[in-house]
Amino acid sequence: MDCEKILNLFRSELITVNVGPKLLATSLEMQGYKAYQVEWKPMAGGDKEMQEILDLLGGVD
Amino acid sequence: MSVFVKIEKGKYIDSLETLYASSVLAEQNGIVSGYVGVGTHAFLDTVRSSGLDSPDLDSVTGNDLVIIAESTNQAAFDAAARAVFASFQSETSAQAEESFVSIKAAVQKHPEINLCSVSVPGEYAYGEVKKALNAGLHCVVFSNNVPLEQEREMKLLAREKGLLCMGPDCGVANINGAALVLSSINNRGPFGIVGASGTGIQHVAAILHEAGTGVSQTIGTGGNDCKDAVGGIMMLMGIDALEADPETKYIALISRKPGDTVLPKLLERIKTCRKPVVALFMGCDRKAIEASGAIYASSLDDCAIQCLKLIGVDYPLTTEEELTALAAEEVKKYAPEQKYLRGLYTGGTYMDEAANAMIPRIGTIYSNCPIRSDWKLEDSYVSRENACVDYGEEEFTLGRPHPAIDPGIRKPAILKEAMDPEVAVIILDFILTPPGHMDPTGFVIDDIKMAQQMAEAEGRHITFIASVLGTTADFQDKHKQERQLREAGVIVCQTNYRAAVLASEIIRQIKEG
Repeated sequence: MDCEKILNLFRSELITVNVGPKLLATSLEMQGYKAYQVEWKPMAGGDKEMQEILDLLGGVD
Repeated sequence: MSVFVKIEKGKYIDSLETLYASSVLAEQNGIVSGYVGVGTHAFLDTVRSSGLDSPDLDSVTGNDLVIIAESTNQAAFDAAARAVFASFQSETSAQAEESFVSIKAAVQKHPEINLCSVSVPGEYAYGEVKKALNAGLHCVVFSNNVPLEQEREMKLLAREKGLLCMGPDCGVANINGAALVLSSINNRGPFGIVGASGTGIQHVAAILHEAGTGVSQTIGTGGNDCKDAVGGIMMLMGIDALEADPETKYIALISRKPGDTVLPKLLERIKTCRKPVVALFMGCDRKAIEASGAIYASSLDDCAIQCLKLIGVDYPLTTEEELTALAAEEVKKYAPEQKYLRGLYTGGTYMDEAANAMIPRIGTIYSNCPIRSDWKLEDSYVSRENACVDYGEEEFTLGRPHPAIDPGIRKPAILKEAMDPEVAVIILDFILTPPGHMDPTGFVIDDIKMAQQMAEAEGRHITFIASVLGTTADFQDKHKQERQLREAGVIVCQTNYRAAVLASEIIRQIKEG
């Protein structure tokens, strides 16, 4: 397998975007690593049917 | 006693915050039981199955915050709800430096981002991971309860793009020195690890750290990667990556028994690997593993020892003879009725390892998650005879964080077990990680001391045996945690397996008289 992208990661400064509990981004910052937070919410307010429609439309992201 | 509800429309908070908030709620005066969460179907099912319900719940959505509790009166509930809101405010003070509405928005502003950490509820994980992979990001996915077909799809997409997809259900990975999710902080060194067991990776890496060496990278795959339905995709990619990585000189592989179609693929890959491989595939035939050219490891401790042998480091672990001699000293201290052990575990892998070590010495180990189905405890809160309880199981963590983060779940059991006049030995494990409790042993030290004093006052002696998983680089400092335990009279063993051997050897010797 071509590992170039993974080796690139290993050679680079680790910079994370965290989708989920902020505690995990804070934990990385406490260790001296950069982390950005996505204020994640379920799409369509957690309504599954609406979410499936949004997914079909390519999502809101 | 009545059920009270408070609903905040349009207030979404993340899952870990709601878990913390449920812990805060449970500790308030006048609250019998209760939950804090956003009004998803899963949350409402949890609440209703616990016996709490209210007509107010019928109209809530996944964007509404719900506080529901059985309470002695309205005033007590209102005060508790205020405490919950106060906890949110203190939580938000610990914010990441910059926040975004989506992965795409974050990457547009910061194209240098190279990793996405995903820990949203399982039903949403697939969508977020796909977005991250399509944005060219490597992923670590802590979310669990992701269907295996979705796990396979996200890993196939990752492979197509040449990106890592660590997880779902990946709690441990160390990339470029960073401890991701619930990992320990480790020294860097020549060992690369690919593991389908988070505790397994953390355990082996911690011993390497303690022995003065360390890890180049550790790649968690999630516990399902080596099942046939997923196909070992990330385990195989991990081997490729570590073989190509110039900083990695040796590779360790850790998994429960891989699936029947996956094991041959792994063994074939090991055959062609240009770097030495130590393989711990639990329950697999030694000859088959050695035929692949790998060095066979029989256990987590042995995996670390075999790694260290490769660099000529002898790391002596306490021998079974030494533990037997130590047990013989302890046996002299008990009252005649004391004859059982109780293991109070925060790690499921550790409880399994411990139970398997105990059974040959003392037979039946009752548990909420037993090795044999007929050894199941009727009630997880009520131990009997020799028993081990995993406090990370659902009945304890539903609506609360995992005990590695919130050790309050296990705390009450220490005094409770110590009050049982038939108990001689109590075993505790402690797991260190940056997001975890900052002083997990300090948190229970008064309970341990009180338990010992109460027992002494009644003419009994309780032996506390503990092991600490973590490193001196962890914020909690493994050595400091061990020292606190020793100062309180706890016997601290080097590893979980050794703690289990010592405890069960004590019980065996008591039985033999």
